[in-house]
Amino acid sequence: MDRRTFLKLSSLGGATAALSACDKSGKLRGQMIRFIPEERLVPGVAIWKTSLCRQCCSGCGLEVRVMEGEAVVTRHGQRGLMQMGLAKKLEGNPEHPVNRGKLCARGHAGLQVTYNPDRIRFPLRRTGPRGSGQYRQVGWDEAVTELSTRLGSISSQGKAGSVAFLTRALRDQRGVLVQRFLAAYGAPPAVRFEFFDDAVLRRANYLSFGRYQLPTFDLARANYVISFGADFLSTWNSVVAQNRGYGAMRQGRPGLRGKFVQVEARMSPTGANADEWVYAKPGSEGLLAVSLAQVMLSERLRPAEAAREAGARIEGWTQGLSDYSPEKVQDQTGVAAARIRRLARELAAHRPAVAIVAGVPLAQTNGLANALAVNALNALLDAVENPGGIFFTPRPPLAYLPSVEESSSAKSLAERILNNPVPIEALLVYEANPVFASPATWHVRETLEKIPFIASFGSFIDETSILADLILPDHSHLESWVDHVPESGSTTAVASVAAPAMLPLHHTRAMPDVLLDVAHRLGPKLDPVESALPWKSYQEMLQSAFEPLRNHAGSVKAQKADDFWSQVQQNGGWWSEQSDPPPKAPATAERSATVVKVAQPELDGDARDYPFNFLPYASQQFGDGSHANLPWMQEMPDVISTAMWSTWVEINPRTAERLSIRQGDLVEVRSQHGTLQAPALLAPGIAPDVVAMPVGQGHEQYGRYASGRGANPIKILCARVEPETGALAWAATRVNIRRVGTRGKLVLFGGALRESPRNYRYR
Amino acid sequence: MKHGVSAFLVAIAVGGVASILLPFLVSGYVDGNRQSASPSYVTSGKCSASQMSFLAGAKEYFGIYPASVRQPIAFPHKIHVKNGMPCETCHAGVDEGQQAAIPGAAVCMTCHQVIATNKPEIKKLASYYRKGEEVPWRRVYWFYPSAHVDFWHGPHIRAGVECQSCHGDMRKETVAVRKAGLNMGFCVNCHRSRHVSTDCTTCHY
Amino acid sequence: MAPAKEQNQKAFRLKRRNWGMAVDEDRCTGCEACVVACHAENNIATVGEEQAARGRAMHWIRIERYYEGTFPDIKVKYQPVLCQQCDNAPCEAVCPTYASYHNAEGLNAQIYNRCIGTRYCANACPYEDRYFNFVNPAWDEPLNLQLNPDVSVRSVGIMEKCTFCIQRIRAAEINAEKEKRQLKDGEFNPACVQSCPTEALVFGDLDDPESRVSRLAKSNRAAKLLPDLGTKPKVTYLRRGSWYDEQNT
Repeated sequence: MDRRTFLKLSSLGGATAALSACDKSGKLRGQMIRFIPEERLVPGVAIWKTSLCRQCCSGCGLEVRVMEGEAVVTRHGQRGLMQMGLAKKLEGNPEHPVNRGKLCARGHAGLQVTYNPDRIRFPLRRTGPRGSGQYRQVGWDEAVTELSTRLGSISSQGKAGSVAFLTRALRDQRGVLVQRFLAAYGAPPAVRFEFFDDAVLRRANYLSFGRYQLPTFDLARANYVISFGADFLSTWNSVVAQNRGYGAMRQGRPGLRGKFVQVEARMSPTGANADEWVYAKPGSEGLLAVSLAQVMLSERLRPAEAAREAGARIEGWTQGLSDYSPEKVQDQTGVAAARIRRLARELAAHRPAVAIVAGVPLAQTNGLANALAVNALNALLDAVENPGGIFFTPRPPLAYLPSVEESSSAKSLAERILNNPVPIEALLVYEANPVFASPATWHVRETLEKIPFIASFGSFIDETSILADLILPDHSHLESWVDHVPESGSTTAVASVAAPAMLPLHHTRAMPDVLLDVAHRLGPKLDPVESALPWKSYQEMLQSAFEPLRNHAGSVKAQKADDFWSQVQQNGGWWSEQSDPPPKAPATAERSATVVKVAQPELDGDARDYPFNFLPYASQQFGDGSHANLPWMQEMPDVISTAMWSTWVEINPRTAERLSIRQGDLVEVRSQHGTLQAPALLAPGIAPDVVAMPVGQGHEQYGRYASGRGANPIKILCARVEPETGALAWAATRVNIRRVGTRGKLVLFGGALRESPRNYRYR
Repeated sequence: MKHGVSAFLVAIAVGGVASILLPFLVSGYVDGNRQSASPSYVTSGKCSASQMSFLAGAKEYFGIYPASVRQPIAFPHKIHVKNGMPCETCHAGVDEGQQAAIPGAAVCMTCHQVIATNKPEIKKLASYYRKGEEVPWRRVYWFYPSAHVDFWHGPHIRAGVECQSCHGDMRKETVAVRKAGLNMGFCVNCHRSRHVSTDCTTCHY
Repeated sequence: MAPAKEQNQKAFRLKRRNWGMAVDEDRCTGCEACVVACHAENNIATVGEEQAARGRAMHWIRIERYYEGTFPDIKVKYQPVLCQQCDNAPCEAVCPTYASYHNAEGLNAQIYNRCIGTRYCANACPYEDRYFNFVNPAWDEPLNLQLNPDVSVRSVGIMEKCTFCIQRIRAAEINAEKEKRQLKDGEFNPACVQSCPTEALVFGDLDDPESRVSRLAKSNRAAKLLPDLGTKPKVTYLRRGSWYDEQNT
């Protein structure tokens, strides 16, 4: 009710107004007690606190705008109102080397993680059957006691090895803490699971350049950028850093504008920016890269030796790659020979030129060969660790460094949990959701359901945490101590750290502090707990981890340990002044013996029954689906389709015409392993024999905004892998499509006239 | 001529009212609330831009603000002013930002640990403080959300506007009561006499 | 009582500005950071799926995507579109209540108090950048704690649009006035400009010949949206360059 509604009601002749739901809570508010604030802020005046983004693995620095506000909080088991500093807006930290004051869409939406209405407010214990979502509130002491008792009794039975910790790649001290906890307890290292895990590229970079990490691109100084399937301006790798470089590459140098060529089969948001968009058959990108190299070698545009080690990984390199001439690969790749020649000449003539590879080319059975081929092309162009090329971020000299994951997600999940001959007795889950992000053929849910005890540190009920017996909700990233060691995005070593930007809203506790508490309760059952986990809190651990940085030339110069620590927090971290490349892994016989033949990929399914190559892709809004519970992300129009709150199947308009499919029609997508239904989106930028779908929707359990919305393309994927890394070949599935109805749920922001009922495409 | 003008105005008025009402009547003006049964361990409830009873809505429409509110403690402003305390001592931050702070129990207790501890009102204050609770002061000066006003104290104080111009002479008051109407006419008159901007977006955004 | 010492000094006045923006289409990658930054800054309501399906989603800044050609020779152009703050704005002339008007800084302002929701302005706007609150905006608690206290929360029946983050302009002005200095170019930015990772968006004073935005507005790539309508927009679009352009700004 407000003056507007009043006006409406009074002119209608009066009506009685019902109290809205909010009014009731407003009355409740009046009766609530008010706590004495734990911090004093000047009302109406914003203060800025440094923090770190944890929405993806890039690790951008944040500045949080904090203002005083009144929140309903729980203190000493009592609910009441408190004046407290509330995060109002996130901005990039201008000093941070990765993002330099900039922030992406998903980073902004990090606020809605903290304020999400579906956040679990207190520890929970399961009361109903598994998966029912029936829980009761327990106190923190009870919850931690239960977890430590469970772990203690498993350890007493001598089964410590059957405890598994499932998480994502943790590039911070949390990773170190988990590792040390598991080692002291006697359990195997943590299983790291992410759907888009880049294990193939890390392996290729190790084989080609001796670096087990993702590259950093110096786009700002490049004159020519060729990207093979990489969505590097929207979802892949250090997106903000890459966008910064891209802007400078286009218009940052007076009189010089770099050219950008994208090679792919479905136009990605990144590909849409290309000066030249090249269609190549999915999985044949490696052939194209080698063919470009062949032209440069045969026309003596570049010396073969320039490729050094990276060239030696490719079969036939020293012989001039005669099997890969443009004429020989043009049918396999779908790119005309003349075009390959022209691109090769342009690349060689307009150095510094850099090649990028990620996404579909690597998610194939020949993924490693594709990555090695592009690496060799980069080396041939002299783009490795040269201005305008690729770099590798050095690691900061912290006291403890998180280990680099060498195994692929799919392989470690399969070996350690799904096909483990030793049955898992207890599973701890933190920031991983394999039940959602795995093909149905893996039967992850069925395997997890058999585990006698599952504890989750999740902030939300999702497909995996709903199986948990005990939920110990974590703080949000704005409420906890955060730190990060970026894998890429900077040419200098970076160690970010920040104190909580605001007090916790709910009755939650930070995962690392809970783990330390459990460790100390287990005490004698852990191997040497004093030496492995000597810290009382995570904050103490961070301080001791950062202590050695004081003796290195970096962004913070302070003599005293306390001054150093407070300045590091104020700046949002420490960054080195030197930009020496990280040390190379020593050449091993295994590495030098690796020589791959670049060939076509193998696809799952017969081409006659399943004529379309099915390409799931990381969505601009939700990444791998972990941001689907944020309303800003749901309502942000996808830049290519302008779709909101939806999933869709991208189909070429000509293919659609042939199959009598119109925009918004409900389409069934069938692979050998399952079917799903989603509305059709006619996308001019997709090949006629390819259909694509964004990953991220189709959650069964993920709060009120994501649950039961759209379809999950991961479920119908085949279980084929890239043989050497065991990474899931998620682009290797063939499907068939057919129209099953006229009314798919497709909500588009663009295209339809506003408020014109004829254009509704809803239900 | 005169008839033409008034007919035109009536037409505008009718058109305006009709255009407000039509969408309501034609539907579409449904409240976007989706009621979902959420489990108890997550937050429920909606907060919307305007959430009042019919009476409060009427008051807001006519711009009627309550002149006095009942405070939990009968705070005597006059005693504090008489003892030489400037306003900013308790209403900290008034020269910096938008609002002035309403002092919390902790601020009061810096003095009242020792001063006048036997007075009944001070005992009330001390009992809140002992329980770790804030005194539930109620706001006296505020604007309805539909006023869409963003008021900053700081620039007014820097321009030399005395506190009493808007808040009355607190040397004579116990608990604060809303003295000036603080409607738009009040603000604009002062802005005009001081030759400062009367552009709408100076205050309304 | 209030300090009176400044009363006698000669009144300090801020220079009058003519705010404008430049959008470099060559830099824009369609990352949508501006879209979400705007939602966060300006308390724009999330309308939900059903309302969005009826075309009622509100995005003060949006990325338009234009296809050219057919597969495989296909090109795409991204164009961030926000209120053009026209100097000759069609929305202002049609408003019966003067809720939409032009102020001295050249901003095309929307005064919510005056708005009675005729929606004439939205019909008149050729850039389709005015958004109407068809439903009463509601936030699932505690999402409302995020609301920016410097910006009005609009209610049902009100037209809203991009303000060039006027709350940031006012805050910067109040700060500068306090320090008795003029505003510097780039000292503050609207939320979209601040977050833009490629620096495709540039904001500033068009009357200051030294400001970045006024220099970009004179670029040979500069163009306006729908210039033949004579709306005199204050947002300049910089066309995409061709490869190895001879001349850039």
